[in-house]
Amino acid sequence: MTVELTVDEAARVRLWHRVSQFLFREARLLDEWRLREWYDEMLTDDVRYTVPATDVRGEVTGALGLIDDDAARLRQRVEQLLNDEVWCENPRSRTHRMVGNVEVLADRGTHLDVAANVVVHRFGHGRSDAYVGKCRFELVVAGESFRVRRRVVVLDHETLYEHGKLSIIL
Amino acid sequence: MTIELERSVGDPIVIDDLERLTFRVDRRAYTDDDLAARELTRIFDRCWLYVGHESEIPEPGSYVSRDVGGRPVVMARGSDGVVRVFANSCTHRGALICSQPSGQARSFRCPYHDWTFSNRGELVGVPLPDGYGPGFRKADFDLARHRSESYRGFVFATFDPEQPRTLTEYLAGAAEYLDLIDDQSEVGMEVIQGAQLHGARANWKLMMENSVDIYHFRALHKRYVGYMESLGSVPPRRRGGFGRALGLGHGANELPPAAARPLAYWTPMFGPEVRPRIEATAARFVDRFGADRAERITGTNRAVLIFPNLMIIDAIAITIRKIDPVGADRMAITSVALAPKDEDPDIRELRKSHYLTFLGPAGFATPDDIEIVESCQRGYLNRTVRYSDLSRGMDKEVPETTDELPAREFWRQWDRLMHGDDGHLDRAGTREVGPR
Repeated sequence: MTVELTVDEAARVRLWHRVSQFLFREARLLDEWRLREWYDEMLTDDVRYTVPATDVRGEVTGALGLIDDDAARLRQRVEQLLNDEVWCENPRSRTHRMVGNVEVLADRGTHLDVAANVVVHRFGHGRSDAYVGKCRFELVVAGESFRVRRRVVVLDHETLYEHGKLSIIL
Repeated sequence: MTIELERSVGDPIVIDDLERLTFRVDRRAYTDDDLAARELTRIFDRCWLYVGHESEIPEPGSYVSRDVGGRPVVMARGSDGVVRVFANSCTHRGALICSQPSGQARSFRCPYHDWTFSNRGELVGVPLPDGYGPGFRKADFDLARHRSESYRGFVFATFDPEQPRTLTEYLAGAAEYLDLIDDQSEVGMEVIQGAQLHGARANWKLMMENSVDIYHFRALHKRYVGYMESLGSVPPRRRGGFGRALGLGHGANELPPAAARPLAYWTPMFGPEVRPRIEATAARFVDRFGADRAERITGTNRAVLIFPNLMIIDAIAITIRKIDPVGADRMAITSVALAPKDEDPDIRELRKSHYLTFLGPAGFATPDDIEIVESCQRGYLNRTVRYSDLSRGMDKEVPETTDELPAREFWRQWDRLMHGDDGHLDRAGTREVGPR
């Protein structure tokens, strides 16, 4: 027996599928250190990438975070990582991202609000760490695909005491 | 006592030889569990320790809870407005009376038996009081209050009832540096919400050394230097810079800014929009303090180490970094940003942005510091190499910032306290001081 989807449901499933595929591709490029491709093909020119502090639950106006990159500083982060200037990422760590719980929260016409959960395992320099967070994306529709305009990763950790640092892009 | 014995048989941890101009530290100081345990009793149980900044508890009833010197404490502003530091432990059976990192409370209630304490520390509520005999007095069970004092908004506590110094005496030459920070606003400085809570798998003293080590800057932080140069940093408007020993283990580096300072030192990397505002602020400082002191406050970067475990770095932003030992080979790091309460919103954003560029677990510099101190700790596993060297600049009247005088001052005080010296040696007892 096949389940008949309404036209509306079918459209939502297609949209969810496209968004998920986009996020999975993003995860793969980051895991494969294809950071320039990621930067050039998946982000808008006015992208903002934010990781709030762990003692502030989520985004709070005026608060200081861990990362608050505009496009220029994110580009710098990418280039430093790829040029092996990041001493603590040389040799490069291996990362393994699991992206799940993908939800299209709202279609705002010009962009989508998307939520996802992420676990990023990082192995390198004799260590293994896991970064666990909740992501919020603002995805701008770009032809058949999207570009990320806002990328917020709210870590669920109370502290980064175990990790010490956050030298990769989450 | 093992350590005295070691010293008496000529096997010291710190080798401070002013004749041969060598300063070496035996790497057991970073790896030995017995020494780490002794540090807690001989240093952290005795010194004045930084707890927090008054701006973190702005209103009557505000509190923060955190660990200080390995002990859970609550810093609270009572309903009477007085700042107190309490042991975060119920006087009945010992549970934490405060589990929230911060908040507002008229009272603290222990969840175990509902004993309740006012925000001034008095035991005000005991369920089923008839169960106690006639000799039971609530006043005997007030929260244990630690001796605490504040200097220019920085709150310190000591667990040593016999600590002979007031906080101001203890701060010695470092007090001047807190003045240079707190003078940056007429209405006061404040901690910006959002702490960077992280750590390193290395001995805490490695991070103290690293924080006053300018020698490593151009080597380890090439990527940060390159980024700042790409933003258009300009040569400092004056030359100079030096390291100082401030007495009792405290030390500092001062140097002209290579970049900019959001308070009142504009360079092109801040963009033209904020230039008039920053330069107007600079002029007001000249009016308030005169040209020389204004230049010292607004046009000088500084890093000050306050013994044992506080760093205040005032450069392109101000960070307060508290570094806590966790055994011999781990540390916890708490960093927050400090800024003028009355800061212009655009300039505040610049400050925060540049803070994040350098500092914190995801900045363009701090992660490399974390990695390098962990690398040192791993290197110490090869015990064939016994000593670390900290002798740069020992032959100089005025040590440069790339010399290691502040780190030597730290180690000299560490050595005195670990040997049970009461730390009464004053600045005259420190033979290397740098410029006065």
